[in-house]
Amino acid sequence: MSESPSPPRFPATRCPDCSLLYGHEAYVCRECGSETFEEAPLDGNGTVYARTTIRVPGSGQQGKEPFEVAVVDVGGAESVRVTARIEDNPGVGPDDPVEFVERREGVFYFRAA
Amino acid sequence: MNDVCVVGMGSTEFGVRDERIKELGITAVARALRSCDIDREDVDALYLGNFVAGMLEGQETLAPLVADSVGLSGIPTMKTEGACASSGIAFRQAYQAIRTGVHDIVVVAGVERMTNAETPEFTRALGSAADHGTDGATGLTFPGFYGLVLDRYMYEYGATREQVAAVSVKNRRNGASNPRARFRSPVTVEDVVESRLVADPLRLYDCCPAADGGAAVVLASAEVAESFTSAPIPVLGSGHATGRSAAYRYDDLTTLEATTLAAEEAYDAAGLSPSDVDVVELHDCFSAAEIGDSEDLGFFEKGEGAAAVAEGRTAVDGELPINPSGGLLAKGHPVGATGIGQVYEVCLQLLGEHENQVDGAEVGLAHNLGGSGAVSTVTVLGGPSHV
Repeated sequence: MSESPSPPRFPATRCPDCSLLYGHEAYVCRECGSETFEEAPLDGNGTVYARTTIRVPGSGQQGKEPFEVAVVDVGGAESVRVTARIEDNPGVGPDDPVEFVERREGVFYFRAA
Repeated sequence: MNDVCVVGMGSTEFGVRDERIKELGITAVARALRSCDIDREDVDALYLGNFVAGMLEGQETLAPLVADSVGLSGIPTMKTEGACASSGIAFRQAYQAIRTGVHDIVVVAGVERMTNAETPEFTRALGSAADHGTDGATGLTFPGFYGLVLDRYMYEYGATREQVAAVSVKNRRNGASNPRARFRSPVTVEDVVESRLVADPLRLYDCCPAADGGAAVVLASAEVAESFTSAPIPVLGSGHATGRSAAYRYDDLTTLEATTLAAEEAYDAAGLSPSDVDVVELHDCFSAAEIGDSEDLGFFEKGEGAAAVAEGRTAVDGELPINPSGGLLAKGHPVGATGIGQVYEVCLQLLGEHENQVDGAEVGLAHNLGGSGAVSTVTVLGGPSHV
C-alpha cells in the first residue's frame, strides 16, 4: 500500500487552443495543429488497462529483466492513457489501481496503490 | 482504371540461409520471372520491400542492385519500408501504378536476412519499428506489445491460455507440410503453455521465429496478363492504412485499426465481404495477433476468435482456413519478405497447387501488419476464373 495519501501530480500538458490533454510529450496537437502546450498536472492516481512482464528485453535494457510495462489511465475525471513502467509489483493487472511515482529519463513510473 | 493480375511468382525457402540479402532478392525475382512467359525488357518497374538490411547487413540501395543483377536495366526501382508490412506496401504501390496506367508490368519483391545478426543487434533493429520516445523508452518489446494485447483480450473476453495456444498448434501443424517453412515439426498445447515466458502472458511458442528469405511476384494489367500465363490471378481489392503509433494510443488494444481500415478498403474495392473469403494468410507474428487479426478482418465477432481456433474452425479443413502455410509462426518472419510471402501462398491456393490445399478456394486474402499496429495492407485475390 502507498505510504503517502496522495501521490505526486502527473505532469500532463494541454493544448490551449482545443483543450486536448496529453500524457506523453506532443509537438503538434493531433486535434487542431497547435504547436504550443501548457502544463496541466493531473491527480496521480491511475488504473491499469493492460500489463506485461518483459523477460527478454531489447539491447538497451539487458540485465534489468524481468520488468513490468503497462498501459495506464491516469488522472481523475479527466484522464490520459500512457505507456509506463510499474515498479516492484508484478501482480497488477487490468483495472487494478496504481499511483504515479515519478518521471525518470523520460519514462513514467507507477506502483500498485 | 486497369484491372491488375499476378502473372508470376517465386520464393526462396524461409529459414536460416547463407546467402547475402541481395542474393536472396535476386533468387526470388529470378524465380518469379522464370515462372511466366515474360521478357525482361517488358518489365516497367521493380518495387522491393525491406526493413533492416541497412542496420543488419549495411546494405542499402537494394532495389536497383537487385534489378541490375537480374537484367532489369534502366527501369525505375524503389525500396518501401513499413517494418513488417514493408513488402505489402511494395505490392500496394505496384498495384496502384498499374491500376492508374502509369505502368503495365511491375515486379514486386520482399526480402530480409535476419539470422546472421547477434541477438542484441537483432533486437535493436527490430525494436526500431516502435516509437522510441514513448513505448520504446519503457523497454516495451514487440512480444511485449502483444503481451499487453493478450492481457487485455483475456481479461475482456475470458479467452483461456489454452485456446490461444491452439493458434501455434494449428500453424505448426500446417507448417510441417510446407517445404518453405522454417519450423517443420508440430507442437502440442502443453508444449506452448509450458514453454518459457517471454512477455507475460506470451510464451516462446506463441512467438514467430526470425528467418531469412525472399519472395517476388510479377504484376501485370489484365489486358496483357494472359500473354504471360494461362492462369493469371486477379487482384480483386487492395487496402492500405495507418494505425496507432504506440500502445497508449489505442482506446481498445484488442482492435488494430490499421487492419480494420485496410480490410474495409480492400473488401469495398472487391465488392466482397468477409464471408466470401475461402482462404486467408494473415499476420500471425504472435498467437495473440492471429486471434485479433481474424476478428479485425471480419471473420469472427469480437471476442470469439480464440474459441474459433480451439474448435478447429480455422484449420485447413475448417470453415475458414487461416494460415494453411503455417503462417509466420511456422514459416518464419523474414520481416521485409513476409507480405509477398503471404501473397505467394494465397496464389498457390487459388491455383490449386498448395501443399495444404483448401478445397475449392476461389477467393483468398493476404493481410500484412507493421509496427505496433502502425501500418497494414490487405489484398483480396481471386482464382483464375475471376479474370
